[in-house]
Amino acid sequence: MTAADRPLSVEELSVAYGERRAVDRLSFAVEPGEIYGLLGSNGAGKSSTIKAIVGLVRPVGGRITVFGLDNAIDPIRVKASTGYVPETSLLYEALTPREFLEFVASVRRLDPGTTTERVRAYATAFRLAGEFDEPIVALSNGTRQKVLLIAAFLHQPPLLVLDEPLNGLDPRSVRLVKEMLVRYVADGHRGVLFSTHTMEVAERLCHRVGILDRGVLRGEGTLEALRSRVAAGDATLEEIFLELTDEGDGVRAAVDSLGEP
Amino acid sequence: MGWREAARLSGLAFAELSLQAIYAFRQGNPVPPGPAHALAARARRRVLESKAIVSAVLAFLAAGAAFLVRAAPLASGVYGTPVRPGVFDTGVVTGLLSLDLAFLWWTGMQILPTFLSSGVLPVLEPLPIDERTLRRAAALLYVRLFDLPALTVLVGTPLALGVALGPLVGLAVVPGALAAVAFALALSLLTGRFFVRRVQGSRGGGGRTIVRWAYLVLWLLPAFAVFAFVTAAPALFDLLGHVGGDTGPLSAGRLLLVAFPVPLAVLPAVAATGPGGLGLGPAGTVAVLGACAGYGGLAVGALAWVAGSVARVGHVPVRSSTAGPLANEPIRARRAAFAVLVKDLRIASRTPGYAFVILLPILDALAIGLYTFGSAPSPDEALGLALGAVATAALVATFFGPAFFAIEVFAYSYGRTLPVTDRSVVLGKVGLVVGMYLAAAGIVLGFTLARVFDPALFAVFVLAELPAVGAAALFELGVLFWRARTKGLPITNLYSGAWVAALVAVPGVVIAGLPLLAFRLLGAGRFSVGLEAMALVAIAELAVVGPLALGRRER
Repeated sequence: MTAADRPLSVEELSVAYGERRAVDRLSFAVEPGEIYGLLGSNGAGKSSTIKAIVGLVRPVGGRITVFGLDNAIDPIRVKASTGYVPETSLLYEALTPREFLEFVASVRRLDPGTTTERVRAYATAFRLAGEFDEPIVALSNGTRQKVLLIAAFLHQPPLLVLDEPLNGLDPRSVRLVKEMLVRYVADGHRGVLFSTHTMEVAERLCHRVGILDRGVLRGEGTLEALRSRVAAGDATLEEIFLELTDEGDGVRAAVDSLGEP
Repeated sequence: MGWREAARLSGLAFAELSLQAIYAFRQGNPVPPGPAHALAARARRRVLESKAIVSAVLAFLAAGAAFLVRAAPLASGVYGTPVRPGVFDTGVVTGLLSLDLAFLWWTGMQILPTFLSSGVLPVLEPLPIDERTLRRAAALLYVRLFDLPALTVLVGTPLALGVALGPLVGLAVVPGALAAVAFALALSLLTGRFFVRRVQGSRGGGGRTIVRWAYLVLWLLPAFAVFAFVTAAPALFDLLGHVGGDTGPLSAGRLLLVAFPVPLAVLPAVAATGPGGLGLGPAGTVAVLGACAGYGGLAVGALAWVAGSVARVGHVPVRSSTAGPLANEPIRARRAAFAVLVKDLRIASRTPGYAFVILLPILDALAIGLYTFGSAPSPDEALGLALGAVATAALVATFFGPAFFAIEVFAYSYGRTLPVTDRSVVLGKVGLVVGMYLAAAGIVLGFTLARVFDPALFAVFVLAELPAVGAAALFELGVLFWRARTKGLPITNLYSGAWVAALVAVPGVVIAGLPLLAFRLLGAGRFSVGLEAMALVAIAELAVVGPLALGRRER
């Protein structure tokens, strides 16, 4: 497999905000046909990593390539190959979903006929019909998230970068997105980077996970590989996460310190 | 918890609002490097700078009015007919108070979208704070948005007139200044709430877009206070000069005497020239005093309404969405630059601050066109007026160019993840500026054609200036995008980013103005030479600025 076949490669990535280093020499890759879960506590560096991948923050070190394209050298082609759902629903609130998706389709230079069919199919699947011509400012968080998901899928990109994509979605939509992602990578070429701190979702959906703690990768691999690493054959991902991030004892101590409710 | 606690809470909320206004974190802008306290201090400083710029304009207006009333005997001959000092003073103070009200209202219009979208008040609501304290904190926060400009009106206006005509005159203008500030605060909130509900919450679709723009035209009318006042000044002085002779309760002079802010402007005029200065008579005096008392009561009521309403308006629901079938309309994909232009127009159609920027040169041209049509000038005079109107449109359109950058801040972070180049975004926005200029020119042409002059000459003038308008917009937007990429510092609106906007807008206006200057200097003797010089300068500017703004490596 060449670099041009690999959906995402992150090498020695470092992100800093002033003196504070949010990500420290992080390396991982998303392989073709893979859903890679990036797990971590709040502030572990997941969103900073994702923002560096999609070009929102400039890393202080390292290299990011998408299908062999360096995002520091060829950012426009990298963005064209990527679909992104941000952690928070940040959209042009004065536009309606239709107007927003028209804008996204235009800058992505999509064919109007195909786009219309795709938008109709996604809007129907997400049950967005009634809200499709309302301004986004009037929509609920869950509905905004659906709009962002449609925008990410709209050009059928070979790489999807999803930062907490299930935030605010109703159970039906959560199931829908999970099914969509599984089918999406079934062709064996596309890849999905999926950030979450919901262990159950990662356990069921992701082929491999990377556990991030204070900007450093503490462990990476399939669930079985991680279980063997912590020497617990039936451990859940949550237990593995707490073990690798040394948080297990901390949680118990924190609960004890709270005393009786 | 009382006012002290409310003041403390409003201080915290204002710090957050300043951060949101300057750094637009809620729009997804990443945190710039540096310690948090330094960012907060910088945000506060930049908001203060912006308030200082608005205040400087208001102080300039007060100083200008003071100069005019001081030089009344000289100025009274400006309109060709003698005007008594009392009448002149009333007219000038009327103009000053109207402009103070209009300018503060316009400022409020700029701030309110940021205020409403910042979400600072909804954050306070779930905290264990009693309703009265929360209401007070919200009211104080709202007042803080206007503090320095409002203080300039309240202190600067009496001070300037006091220095010019004596302390008694200064004191006499205080009720007028108070009423102007109170009405501006209330009108900003009232119209802000109305537009959040009716304009920002409007569904998509062609017919609704027209209705939205119609609302927005109404919203912008206060901004024409300067133009309206200058145009109406002779008639105002004439009417004021005859108020003593008007005896009927519904006569024009009597109605004018009770119209805001005339009675409040009469007070300093009477203080300056004595009771006989306006020749009001007993009935006129009673009408003025009654109107002053009425406006005083209305101002107190307006402030009370503001104090009670801000907390509710702070998180006004736009609309609840309605169920319905998916409209059978195709998704129209456009070229990237044109898509940026269409997106900006759609955002502006639901955002009064940006609609103002687009409509101002067009409405300005409409007003001048109507004036030209109505005043029946000769064809030569009509041509002069038309060219002046086009020049004004070019300068106004380019002066507000930076606002189109601010539109990008709405979804700054998401927009940067799309494969759209800076070049496409800048070209889309430059296209909008050029479109505004051409629309204004078209309106002027439409009106002045009725007065029969050489339309070819007019078209050559418009086209000769066109490259300069493009160059000015390219310069302004190019610098702002470069700054945003390198410094990560967006301007969220013209108010919060007034300093940055002014830094690029002033050179932009110079670029747009240089060809006009060339025409003025060289076209006095021979019209065609002036046009050639104008076109040459404009094309040279575009040739220099274009590659600089668009030729950088795409990121």
